[in-house]
Amino acid sequence: MKKFWRCFVCNDIHYGFKPPEVCPTCLVKNAYVEISSAEAQKISGWTQTIMTREEFRQAIEKFAEKNEFRVCPDQAKVEMLFDGVFSNEQNHGLKYCPCRLLCKDFAEDLKLVCPCNFIIHETYKGKEDGECWCGLFVRRKK
Amino acid sequence: MSKLIMFHGRECPHCKAMMPLVDKLEKEEKVAFERLEIWHEEKNADLMRSYRPDIAPKCGGQLRTPTFFNPETKDVLCGEVPYDKLKDWALKQ
Repeated sequence: MKKFWRCFVCNDIHYGFKPPEVCPTCLVKNAYVEISSAEAQKISGWTQTIMTREEFRQAIEKFAEKNEFRVCPDQAKVEMLFDGVFSNEQNHGLKYCPCRLLCKDFAEDLKLVCPCNFIIHETYKGKEDGECWCGLFVRRKK
Repeated sequence: MSKLIMFHGRECPHCKAMMPLVDKLEKEEKVAFERLEIWHEEKNADLMRSYRPDIAPKCGGQLRTPTFFNPETKDVLCGEVPYDKLKDWALKQ
């Protein structure tokens, strides 16, 4: 089961099976101590801001930048998907894919949070013109 | 002719692309789809979830839109498809 870990130097929070050996922020070794989810929520929550559409756009552009895929060049399609992603966040709690549906099993439903792990999906894997199910990410042309 | 369902999402571009094809099919053939939106209508979402064992294995293991579904035969067509594929599927129902 994944747990929360806090860097005792800079208060970075990590969520995972193991803590990082080196803190990616302050570069101190063996700096992580296990904490409760309530503590993690308080620490990460106090600086938390609402992500705007523009910030989300920049975040996924940056995410795709060094990958073999890019954000779909069709602006109208992207805007429609953003409408869905943000409306799902407001109504259902997370940025769920507008082209799929929650099954009400939280661990399964986490697989629907955008960006999802689409590189393993049959719509992307091994396909020259592969894309994620909703089409927000498309494989770069060679 | 069986009752057919189209599960769709309001902000799903594939569903938007399929709508005119469904309109055309309904005009040209004796078929009718009940169009059920699943992100803003919870009862439609619950209905789609109730068919998960039939739909998911044919849609990459998940509930995806658009999904065309025959509740009598449990036959499924998933995703954005060409007109002829939709037509063939609907006419064999």
